[in-house]
Formats: sequence, structure tokens, C-alpha cells
Amino acid sequence: MTGKLKRSLIYWAILSPLMVVILFPFGVMFVTAVRPRAELFTYPPTWGFSEFRWENFSEMWVKTNFGGALLNSLYVSVAATAVALLLSIPAAYAMSRYRFAGKGAYRTFLLMTQMMSPIVLVLGLFRLMMSLGLVNDLNSLVLTYAAFNMAFTIWMLQSYFNSIPRDLEEAAWMDGASHLTSLVRIFLPLAVPAMVVTAIFTFINSWNEFVLALTMMRSSEDFTLPVQIYAQVAGRYQVEWHHVMAATVLATVPVAIVFSWLQRYLIRGMALGAVK
Amino acid sequence: MANRFQKSVPLMMILPGLALALAIIGYPIFDLAWTSMQDVSRFGKLTGFNGGENYHEVFADPLFWESLWRTGIWTFAVVGGTLAISMPVAMILNDDFHGRGLARVIIMLPWAISLTMTAVVWRWALNGRAGLLNATLMNAGIIDQPVEWLATASTAFVVEILVGILVSIPFTTTILLGGLSSMPQDAYEAAVVDGASGWDQFRHITLPLMKPFINIAIVLNVIYVFNSLPIIWVMTEGGPANGTDILVTYLYKLAFRFGQLGKAAAISLVMFFVLLAFTMLYVALVSRNDRDDAAPEEEIKA
Repeated sequence: MTGKLKRSLIYWAILSPLMVVILFPFGVMFVTAVRPRAELFTYPPTWGFSEFRWENFSEMWVKTNFGGALLNSLYVSVAATAVALLLSIPAAYAMSRYRFAGKGAYRTFLLMTQMMSPIVLVLGLFRLMMSLGLVNDLNSLVLTYAAFNMAFTIWMLQSYFNSIPRDLEEAAWMDGASHLTSLVRIFLPLAVPAMVVTAIFTFINSWNEFVLALTMMRSSEDFTLPVQIYAQVAGRYQVEWHHVMAATVLATVPVAIVFSWLQRYLIRGMALGAVK
Repeated sequence: MANRFQKSVPLMMILPGLALALAIIGYPIFDLAWTSMQDVSRFGKLTGFNGGENYHEVFADPLFWESLWRTGIWTFAVVGGTLAISMPVAMILNDDFHGRGLARVIIMLPWAISLTMTAVVWRWALNGRAGLLNATLMNAGIIDQPVEWLATASTAFVVEILVGILVSIPFTTTILLGGLSSMPQDAYEAAVVDGASGWDQFRHITLPLMKPFINIAIVLNVIYVFNSLPIIWVMTEGGPANGTDILVTYLYKLAFRFGQLGKAAAISLVMFFVLLAFTMLYVALVSRNDRDDAAPEEEIKA
């Protein structure tokens, strides 16, 4: 027991510098978000401040059009997640349950698309959306986010589908159920947890995306949160940093909490894939 | 007939997703290849085939070579630094100690936040006049004057590399943890019996067995870091005076600021082939690791 205690102290001591650096930006965010405007540029710079100004948050909400950007982000992330899942569930089911010609090639194709990054294709994508008349249309982001996330969702779902025993479905076929009935009645209910976890990760991915949103959305009322917050900082002579930090707090903290809570599933999924 | 139908079922299931991927990810590649061989007006109108002129222009552009060189440094430094820190962190997190759950949550935190937001916060934290990094370092007596971290390219680039390392640690640690958790315990027990020291165990058991995971961590990180725009874009936009431009920021400026679309398309295509090479390396590594139908590891990094 004392051995474990000693080990714990040593480990925490080794990890602490890294943890300080990780937590530092969070500290900066909170301390700036609640400080009075007049104390942003004090000299010498200091962590301390005179009072908690919670009104910063409500002022920021109005001044930066936070609500509008929030709705845009919600729409894009929910719709992209729905499209990605709707297309991935049958594909993952096929990968998990059937042998078919071209399966290996499809696997390689998925790996390739997973590695393709939006930034390399951004000019081509912009031209594509131009020709479809989807620039300045949030649906351009829905389509691109769904497409870029699909390899991830298919892998994730397939690895969970593989762990659902085949016997259950086969038993249903014996009882005369059609493939479709067994799929809807037996398989999908069992797969709900996997779908929820996958959906949340896709949502977070879409929520955080920057490059495509910056490129496709040209007018400020269509901005998603990352672009809206970036627009408060970039190319401005005077940046209202207390508002910017209040906005980052609101935009990141709920997502960070959900992510931290679910991250063990991600680790498990990765460990599964890597070990097997 | 029924058999034919049965056979087409899985294809019908993958087809809708495949169609979307081909349209959104496949088509732009062809469009870029086509555009890169044309004269393009500022407004994106193709005005005629010009052979390899865009490529000539790119390869004759000193800013391209500078950005390429800096991309190399950026990728090498971020991936190397990340790996050097993630390996010991993963080994600690794989061991049993008090508060391990909390430690894991803290180490993974940067992954949960979008790169854009992280970069915005750092841009403020590094502010030359009132940034809280200056406040902290001045309180600690390390500096006595505020430092303008982002005003000169050399310090800005170093700071950006450090932020890049910080945000890459969670993902890398996760991959390495996956590997460590599958280590055979009896190998270590036998080594202890034979009187091997901790360092011997690390060199002769842990490292060789971890090699496939380290390889995958390197290749995936190279792919992500090489392509990462938000950190540099938000913190300095490649400035001051193009001093922190890497290929992606330079490409983005050419395409969406300067309207040099032909040249931007040519750089995109060059980058696409570099990316393709690394992706094939990754595919080869993954198929060597799991020859059967297991899914490869996943990531989410925005």
C-alpha cells in the first residue's frame, strides 16, 4: 500500500508540469471571461481582478450574435450526424455480416477517405459547392461533414456490430422472420448504445470543424461558432477579449464535459481495433 | 434470381454512402487536377489550358519552398515532441496509482476542445502587453519585461509548435495506451526473475512490442500535423511577413485571399500526392497489424 502511495506521488510529480500547461488555457479563459473590461490591459499583466462580472456573458451573447451562431452550429452538427449515421449503419452492417466482392477494396477506400483532409481539397470543394449553388448555405457543411466523418462512423459501428452475436438473428430467421424484420426488431435495438456513442463523436467533430466552415460561409449570419469566435479576433484593431473568452467558455465547456465522460468508449474502441 | 438479389444486398447497403464519399471527396480531386492545368481568373473562371505553367510558377516561387521547408520542421518537431512526451505519459497512465482516472481526464482534455478555440485562447494568453503567460513568467521572476511572443516569426513558430505538441498528446497517448494494455505480463515477470532492470525491460520488451503502435502513431500524426491549419492560421495567419507559413496556410492564402486559383490548385495536388503516399504507408501498416476483419483504430480530431 505504501508502495502504491509512493508511486502515486512520483507519478503525479512527473505529470504535473504537463498538467499545468494543459490547464493553463482554461484558467486564462475563465479569468478573462469574468473580468471587467477596464482590467483587460493592466500593466504589469496580472491574473488578479477586482470583481466577477458575470454580465460579460449576457453582453457577449448580444454583441457577438452568439445565439445565431449557436443555432447554426447545432443545425449543421445534428444534420451532419444524422446523414452520416443513416448512410453508415447499412454500410457497417454489410461490412460486419456479409462477404461480398470488393470488400477489401472498399475497406481500403474507407481508410483513404479517412485520411483525406478537408484542407487539401478545400479549393475543389469550394468550386463544387459554387457550381451546386451551396456556398453560403449551411447544407454544404452538412454534406461535407457527413462525407468526411463517414469512414470513422463506419469503422466505429462495424467494430461494435462485430461484437453482437450472429446467433440472435439466425434464431429469428429460423422462426420465420425475414432479414429485414430481424434487422429492425433484433439487431438495431442491440446496436443503440454503439450508435449513440458514434453519433456523439460525429457531432463533436462537426461542432469543432473550422476550415470548411470558414471557407463555405461567407456572410456573418451563417457563421458557425468556431468561425464566429475567430471573426471576433481576426483582422480587428480592437478585440473585446473578455467577450471572446466568455464565448469560448460557453462553446467549449459543455462539449468538453461530454467528451471527457465518453472518452473511455473511444479508448476502448481504439484498443479493440488495435489489439485485434 | 433470388440468389442474384441476395448477392446485391450488401452492395445496395454500401452504395449510398459510397456515392456521397465519391461526390464530396473523390470529385474535388479531379476538379483540382483539371484546374491546376488551366489559366484561372480571380473569380474562378477557367480561361484555357496552359499545360504545366501553374506548376512551373509554384516551383519557381521562393515562398513555396520556404513554406515547404517550414512544413517539414513543423511536422518533424510536433510529431517528435509529441511522441517523446506521450510515451512516458502512456506508461504512467497504464500503471496503477491513486487518482489515475482524474489524471487521464486532464491529459485528454485538449482533445475535447476544438483547435480553433485552443488557438484563440493561446493567442490571447500570449498577448505581448497583457497576456497571462507574461503575467505568470513575470511573477515567477523568469522575465522582467513582457515578451511579444507572436510579433516575431521565430518565437511565434516555436510557440505554435509547442501548442501543436500539446494538442497532439491526447490522441497519441490513447494509441500507445491501447498498445500497452495488450502487453503480455508474463514477459515482464520472466524478465524480473532473470534480474532485468527497469530500463532493460523497457528496451528489450516494451519498445519492440510497442513498435507497431508507435509506427501507427507516427504515420497518423504526420498526416494530421502536416495538414493542420487552425493553430497557425488563428495565432498568426502565417505571418508576420509569411514567417510562419506552412504549405496549408500558404495554399489557403493563395486560394482565398490572393485569388491565384491555378497556383493554389497545383499546390493542393502536390499535397494530395504527399498525403496519398503517407496514407498508403498507413494502410500497409494497418493491414500488417490485422490481417483479418478487425477494425483499425479510430480518431477524432477536428
